[in-house]
Amino acid sequence: MQLWAIAANTYRENIRDRVLYSIVFFAVLVLCASLVMEEITIGDQDKVVRSVALGAIRAFGSVMSIFLGIGLVYKEIEKKTVYTIVSKPIARWVFIVGKYLGLMGVIVTMIALMAGLYILLMLTQQGPPATSVYASWWMLTVELGLLTAWAILFSSYSAPITAASFSIAVFVIGHLADDIWRFGLQAESEQVRQFAGVLYWFLPNLSVFNVHDLAVHHLPIPVEQLIGATGYGLGYTVVVLTLAVWVFSGRDFK
Amino acid sequence: MSPASSSPAEVVLRCEGLGKVYRSGFFRIPYVGLEDLSLDVRRGEIFGFIGPNGAGKTTTIKCLMGLQAATSGKAELLGKDHRDPESKRGVGFLPERPYFYEHLTAREFLHFYGSLFGLPKAVRAARIEELLARVQLERFADVPLRAYSKGMLQRAGVAQALINDPELLVLDEPMSGLDPMGRLLIRDLIFEERRRGRTVFFSSHILADVELICDRVAILVGGRLRGLGTVRQLVGDRVKHVDIATRITNTDAALPGEVIRRDGDAVILRVGPDDADSAIDTLRAAGGSILSVTPAREHLESVLLDEVQRAAPINQKHLGVLA
Repeated sequence: MQLWAIAANTYRENIRDRVLYSIVFFAVLVLCASLVMEEITIGDQDKVVRSVALGAIRAFGSVMSIFLGIGLVYKEIEKKTVYTIVSKPIARWVFIVGKYLGLMGVIVTMIALMAGLYILLMLTQQGPPATSVYASWWMLTVELGLLTAWAILFSSYSAPITAASFSIAVFVIGHLADDIWRFGLQAESEQVRQFAGVLYWFLPNLSVFNVHDLAVHHLPIPVEQLIGATGYGLGYTVVVLTLAVWVFSGRDFK
Repeated sequence: MSPASSSPAEVVLRCEGLGKVYRSGFFRIPYVGLEDLSLDVRRGEIFGFIGPNGAGKTTTIKCLMGLQAATSGKAELLGKDHRDPESKRGVGFLPERPYFYEHLTAREFLHFYGSLFGLPKAVRAARIEELLARVQLERFADVPLRAYSKGMLQRAGVAQALINDPELLVLDEPMSGLDPMGRLLIRDLIFEERRRGRTVFFSSHILADVELICDRVAILVGGRLRGLGTVRQLVGDRVKHVDIATRITNTDAALPGEVIRRDGDAVILRVGPDDADSAIDTLRAAGGSILSVTPAREHLESVLLDEVQRAAPINQKHLGVLA
């Protein structure tokens, strides 16, 4: 009950936040603008429209995940609202996990909203989206779940600007993980190879969730890839959230 | 155990050698926030916790409520180790200058805190109506907290502290920044809780209130306990000075003591506690009549100031690097 109370409060707080609506407004604007691409593109216009629209959902989902996640715990400490929560009969992990679930509720709602708009646009322009498009949204949700966990971990011990820098770094490195691995293999220096290896194994490989091209081309996504990426994402998320709980549990509130 | 059936001597809050050392800066320089605090608070009493700024009052309360980890000693709330979240189940807490979720209305806010205690919805709803009436916020129950004044927020804060019908109420500076009406409301609430058999532990700068409502008081200076007892025990029966009101027509007569006020032939004189008898004799000998004799007793304020002055050398350690 306590977990859901904190999750529901976090959901309500973010849904009532004007910042969220600014992001949603721009997301809707870009989604609608993707239709204009059809007029100015040469070649397979349908695919270009799908690519821009699905890319916009990914981009705005990631922006929401990072920018709402980095303030999630820090804001509670800064505004001292955390005082009246941790002094209640609740364990600190309940607070972190509750905040996480609440924010994920917001992110899933927003992805559903943007996906609904995408389906509407497709139905009026190109026909119903392929199954792989729905699968790509599932992969995006798992990816954002992991990214949000990282943002909360950074938010548990640092100010939003630092947390934002770290979260963006994780996002960028995570999407370049395969390239970093390949670069490491080709490097002549042993130190560079080791460093690339550490980055590859320590930071998340977000490219496993990237099925953008398959979705745009309406090509099927292998089930093994879906299951594997989901397991990897959920497992990694649990580890990062555990770290966030550990950091938060050791904190003094001054 | 219900408060009514319990022994009056039952301890509901206990600190044993509680201490907190902060470390700050790059070199982790230690700073003593609280040192070896031992005290018991008994069921049914109103316990005041006083001291100057930086004395360690809020540090103590934060350690007790799990907001900071004590670096030494131990503490119990309602018989349970204070580090156990379950020890807070029967405790209500109002932090100093409380901050709340501004996006919530008072009703939503109280539902949220009620659910953190696991109270069923129907129980919460009934309790919330009762509390909103007690803190006089019924008319503003559905207004977001961001529109509240400071006094209204403090009252909302008191309501959240009472949402679980706590056996022990811990209030950090509950009267700070309130107008006289707000202070009266909080005082009445504290009395009402005591009347219901509850225990109230609160810190305050407003010594007149502490003197008026507390059964026992602890004085904290420089992170150390400097006094503990009833107000009478701390202040003692010591008379500070005596004010003698007299009517004397002989304007040439030499008056014993300091003239506090003169209005025609009516004079108020202030003399030392040992000089009152001889001053009265002198006034009578000069043809004066005695209207009243009022001994002025010490107040907590002077006791606190004495303790602050006495602790000044010790405070070097509190304020700076550990010796």
